Amino acid sequence: MSSSLAERDSRRKPALTRPGINNTLIALATLTLLAMPFLTNSGLLYLVGTTLVLGVYSVGWNLLFSWAGLASFGSGGLFAIGAYVSAAAIRAGYDQFFLLIVLAGAGAGALVAMLVGLVALRRTTGIFFAILTLSLSELLRHTLMHTRSLGSEDGLSNITRPVLSLGVVEIDLTSGPTYYWFICVSAAVILGLCWWLTHGPFGRRLLAVRHDIERAGFIGIDVHRSRLAALVISGAVAGCAGAIYAPWAQIVTPELSGMVRSTQPILFTLLGGLQSFWGPMIGAFVFMVIEYATRTLVGIQEIITGAILLAVILAFRAGIAGSWNALIDRLTERRADK
Amino acid sequence: MLFTFINSLTLGMAVFLVAAGLTLIFGIMRILNFAHGAFFMLGAYLTSTLIGDMPGSIWVLIGASMLSGLVVGVLGLVVQHFVLSKLEDVDEHFMLIATYAVMLLCVGAIKMTWGLEFHSVDPPPGLDLGVVIFGTFVPSFSLFIIGAGVAVFLVLDHVIHCSWSGKLAVAIARDGWMSNLMGVNGPLGVRMVVGASFALAGLAGGLLLPNQTLSPALGDTFLLMAFITIVIGGLGNIRGAFIAAIILAVIDGLNILFLPGFPGVLIYVGMVTCLLLWPNGILGESRL
Repeated sequence: MSSSLAERDSRRKPALTRPGINNTLIALATLTLLAMPFLTNSGLLYLVGTTLVLGVYSVGWNLLFSWAGLASFGSGGLFAIGAYVSAAAIRAGYDQFFLLIVLAGAGAGALVAMLVGLVALRRTTGIFFAILTLSLSELLRHTLMHTRSLGSEDGLSNITRPVLSLGVVEIDLTSGPTYYWFICVSAAVILGLCWWLTHGPFGRRLLAVRHDIERAGFIGIDVHRSRLAALVISGAVAGCAGAIYAPWAQIVTPELSGMVRSTQPILFTLLGGLQSFWGPMIGAFVFMVIEYATRTLVGIQEIITGAILLAVILAFRAGIAGSWNALIDRLTERRADK
Repeated sequence: MLFTFINSLTLGMAVFLVAAGLTLIFGIMRILNFAHGAFFMLGAYLTSTLIGDMPGSIWVLIGASMLSGLVVGVLGLVVQHFVLSKLEDVDEHFMLIATYAVMLLCVGAIKMTWGLEFHSVDPPPGLDLGVVIFGTFVPSFSLFIIGAGVAVFLVLDHVIHCSWSGKLAVAIARDGWMSNLMGVNGPLGVRMVVGASFALAGLAGGLLLPNQTLSPALGDTFLLMAFITIVIGGLGNIRGAFIAAIILAVIDGLNILFLPGFPGVLIYVGMVTCLLLWPNGILGESRL
């Protein structure tokens, strides 16, 4: 499809192409996000920032699902690990090294993901992997709930937003908008890294493993190591997102490791579009709008979310991103035919 | 100590009542049904509406549970017709997420109908006291749940392994194409088993209703435990689920005795260990 489009582009040069339109949209969305502090009040800004963090976390999950073909139901546990690392370090007074703390959160997430992967990946796949990860994150939640030094069921609260010191300059992140811009910048860095990984040889290898594990092995791909690497990367992204989330929310609770948090990236990805890099991000923001619009209606929120999910699965399996791309393709094709 | 283990065994059998339907639907359709917990909860709410806060007798409780089981079973057929049967040929992850969506719908409907506040229902007369066994006080409602769990297991096991319709269901589950060729109405059989699975969820909800705090979060707790049970026992394997429920009860009892500061933690440790030792479950995966 893309090659035929490219040929047609070179012959007729239509004014609008799909990559062109999509890049414009992404640029517009980025500008809107950056300008958010001037456009909304602090309550909505908090919501947008949270969604941005969750979107990044879901992109990391989708890297594991759409590229390596592994559905983890326990990513909330890795998110919680990052959040608790960050919360504990800030409360201990290391907040001027916040960048290092975020890296430590990512490292902790990656380490735990690697330990899980080393044991689990050789023996389990599919449903067993899903249940195993689900119960490991529940195990973490129960342990956190009963560990007094980590605040038991109440979690750790009063997490101050840090003042970054980078040797020469100090950046004050204590106010809402500045921390929001910090989230934007780190989201851009993480998403850039993920984009680079998924669109290079590593991403290709993972796709080969997902499509046909046996043939991938035949052509010399180390299947186990590729999957493990994908799991570790997605763990690092989850831990990193958690570490950034903790000072933004200013409180971390064991519920971060619960089933709701773990299933969020699945819902976002599905709604936004499988096999699409930006899908989870789109899904996260659409969900945010739905939840915000239905926040006062008890019960209706679940019904609407469930109905949308069912509709996506039964009718638009490619999600928002996939349907959008198909629509644009049809429109540009018609234009080119004329 | 005996008291602890009776309590844990009650929990184990309660979980088995939920897990029985879950393993049934996995056996026939290869679905891990996230909506099972929500329909279990629906059964509990329906029963509580039928009998009020003070059930008249044991038989009222059992009768109301069966009635709500029937209603939930019919709802299950609706879900099967409109959702599950449409997704048989696609990637298994879609099915997983579809059942999650059905769960959201069901929980939303429950919240809209019955609200968010907590309800509780007393055990019926005859089950509200206790008996003394070997010098230990045992609540008779615990004995009722253990009895119900064993009874459900015996009936299911007999139906699946000894009756004609059970054998047909096994045949459909093992090789649907072949059994269709032999003149068995496969889709009908699948529908019957799915209906039975949902009906079991509703029945379990009704039977376990007394002594529970009824809130919209009830389904999640039981669902996760039931998942663990059927994974340890071997997916789709009813005998495995029963054995695994007893193992879980023992682990939970040990947890209460030796690690009272961390309730509920050992179960997950036990499950991870079991899964790594026997990746397909203790009795192996089976198609019913």
